[in-house]
Amino acid sequence: MKRFRRQLLLGVFALIAATFAALWAHRRFHHALPDYAFLTGWVLFVAMFVLTFFNARKKLPFLPLGKAETWLQIHIYLGFFTVVLFLIHLNFRLPPGWFEITLAWLFALVSASGVVGLFFSRTLPRRLATRGGEAIFEKIPALRHALKTAAENLALGADAQSPFIAEFYTRRLAPFFVGPKNLWLHFFESRRPLNALIAELDDLRRFANDAEREKIEKLAALVRQKDGLDYHRSLQLALKLWLFVHIPLTYGLIIFTLLHIVLVFGFSGGAR
Amino acid sequence: MAAAPTILERPQRWDAAFDADMTDADVERLLATAPFSAMDAEKFPKRTPLREILRNDTRILKFRKGEIIVRQGDYGTSAFLILNGASRIVLKPDLAPSLLGRQAPGKKGIFRTLAQLWNGSRPPETFSRSQLQQAAGLGARQTQKDVRVFLQDLPRILSEHRTDTMTAGDLFGEIGALSRMPRAATIFADTDDAELLEIRWQGLRDLMKYSDALRTHVNKIYRERALASYLRATPMFQHLTKEQLDRVAEQVEFATYGDYDWSGEYKRLAQAGTVRPEKEPVIVQEGDYPNGIVLLRAGFARLSQKFGGGERTLNYIGAGHHYGLREIAHNWRHKDAPVNFKFSLRAIGYTHLLIVPTRVMEEIVLPSLPKSDLPPPLEIVKDDLDSPPHAEKGVRENVGVEVLEFLTENRFFNGTASMVIDLDRCTRCDDCVRACASTHDNNPRFLRHGPTTGSLMVANACMHCADPVCMIGCPTGAIHRESFAGQVVINPDTCIGCKACFNNCPYDAIRMVEIRDKNGEFMVDQEMKPITKATKCDLCVESYGGPSCERACPHGALTRLNLNNLDALSKWLKL
Repeated sequence: MKRFRRQLLLGVFALIAATFAALWAHRRFHHALPDYAFLTGWVLFVAMFVLTFFNARKKLPFLPLGKAETWLQIHIYLGFFTVVLFLIHLNFRLPPGWFEITLAWLFALVSASGVVGLFFSRTLPRRLATRGGEAIFEKIPALRHALKTAAENLALGADAQSPFIAEFYTRRLAPFFVGPKNLWLHFFESRRPLNALIAELDDLRRFANDAEREKIEKLAALVRQKDGLDYHRSLQLALKLWLFVHIPLTYGLIIFTLLHIVLVFGFSGGAR
Repeated sequence: MAAAPTILERPQRWDAAFDADMTDADVERLLATAPFSAMDAEKFPKRTPLREILRNDTRILKFRKGEIIVRQGDYGTSAFLILNGASRIVLKPDLAPSLLGRQAPGKKGIFRTLAQLWNGSRPPETFSRSQLQQAAGLGARQTQKDVRVFLQDLPRILSEHRTDTMTAGDLFGEIGALSRMPRAATIFADTDDAELLEIRWQGLRDLMKYSDALRTHVNKIYRERALASYLRATPMFQHLTKEQLDRVAEQVEFATYGDYDWSGEYKRLAQAGTVRPEKEPVIVQEGDYPNGIVLLRAGFARLSQKFGGGERTLNYIGAGHHYGLREIAHNWRHKDAPVNFKFSLRAIGYTHLLIVPTRVMEEIVLPSLPKSDLPPPLEIVKDDLDSPPHAEKGVRENVGVEVLEFLTENRFFNGTASMVIDLDRCTRCDDCVRACASTHDNNPRFLRHGPTTGSLMVANACMHCADPVCMIGCPTGAIHRESFAGQVVINPDTCIGCKACFNNCPYDAIRMVEIRDKNGEFMVDQEMKPITKATKCDLCVESYGGPSCERACPHGALTRLNLNNLDALSKWLKL
């Protein structure tokens, strides 16, 4: 979509321009201003404060605070620019002392988790859409249970009467249907477990009559559906979990930042 | 061995009578009453005799003074004939929304908006006792079969509003019933013994078909009240003088196709997976000579073309659109090289249309049109697939055939504000769902799930239909169109939980919810049954800034689109 390309171009251009302007200002005023670290610190704090407002916007959807989409764009590009501000604030050196190092690590982790989140948000939805079989995350266990029941009825039900299918189900398929499987392999787009299971099901055909072959077909279809559910669970989980890293770390960063400000004012008589 | 088929008697039209309690005596009485007494029973076919139409397609209703019979703005599928007593029509000014069971239009005030900050922790769908009491000026009465709402302060209403009386023999509601237009005025019973015959649209259609007098009467009313104003508002006829317009109106033909109760039929076919264009009634057949231009007054039609063994959908057109102008204008300009219809037009669901004969077009309408308003010449040799009628240039490139089929098969063209999600961008974060819940009593009014094609999903949210079948049959007027922007909304205070809208909605976009008191306890009636209300998306009509779902999507993946025509979708896909 052209709109998103326009947004990207505009954002990247603004980021590059702001970065160059900040670096130029750093070179120009680094030694010239007496309270330079104080100034960069407050600018960095204001930028971080604005970044946290994105979450506040999400919590107040009923207030006319503009589109979340606009807020996210600001969050992304200001987030990248905050990294530049952070490096300038550190004067491109590692900070001294355990407290400042912890603060720097928190900042790095929040930034990195944000970048990972952005990468996930821009790549995983397309993979989910391409795979199809859309499922709401919270409903996946119920859907999985329905598939398991259907497979169980086919293999072990009252009219099953195929010992080798029942044996295969108990040995190979029951553990597959009972819970989520292949979390990491799905994340890395591996089809190996599915192909292996389907191949094993195909092998059963040599022992099967027509009715049993039909049953094997149906079981294979259920296996594919279950695999699709696992795929959705894996990727949707990734899309949710990164926020469980990003947001708690952000709270930690805010607390450490506030302490940092108190310490700076309490023990150094203002930054130099 | 294949299972033996289930053998049933083939379902017939009158398997379900409008009112099972209609007796022979009732029918005899009706046959002796005008206008039925003047009808020639011999003219009715054996399969649909007059007596059976009256028995199966009508019902006798009794109203007390002040009870509302029809509300202005409601959609209805039946006409009313006054048998006894009198009724009163409200002419001007219109009754206040609260007297029609509706909520007054407007946004939430600043305090109600801010109150949502601390109401977030409340249990969902909480109501106060006072909210559930009838609005001042209205009362309700439970009859054996339904609920009647009555106006309490009649003298005041009569003194403040201009009204007119209708008495025995008067027919009303026939235009709304036949053309699927909203009721033009509110009518209430003016005497305690008001007795009305309600005729459902199928019956009215057949009565008109076989009774010249009734047909002439209804057509005359239609031409006088509805047709002239409709033609005047149609751009094609705006260059005509009053005399020319009257001549056109005299010669316009009316037609209805399909089934008025299309939503129920559609649900059944969709479940069976047998929604096929080939089964839809043909209005215009591809290859036929154009005998007239077709103007869609209500409903939808599918433009299709033969493709292999089936039909390929090229576009769908809704109320206000027309078909055939290109061909007729071409033939008028190139009498030596006439063309036939290039596409078929088929009714989807129910379609009410006007046909202006070619002769009238050629003699009166086309000569009046400036050259710039005439359609461009047809290129007969070129395959015109790139520019299907009624679509802006480039639509075909953005909206593929499979998307078009998807929208048509699922009847999504009915939606004026459908929730469309781009799955390539949607991170399934449910921010839209949470935003909806925060804005609506902590209960989201939609499901972020629905039919998909490619990476497009049309989510299960109220689409604010152009043809809102949910609005048919609401006994209290709780479901209505918002008077400013036309969103379909439910007034929770007057909803009685009867499920009429819930059962009518073919898209399952309405949900019945059990309501709670301020302490979070479920509210129950005397029989300890939970009290329910119908809920659905209201497009955040009371909030500032538009639908909160759309505003809450951080990735720009969700939008509310008018799928009545393809242009909005095309633009969104192209953005």
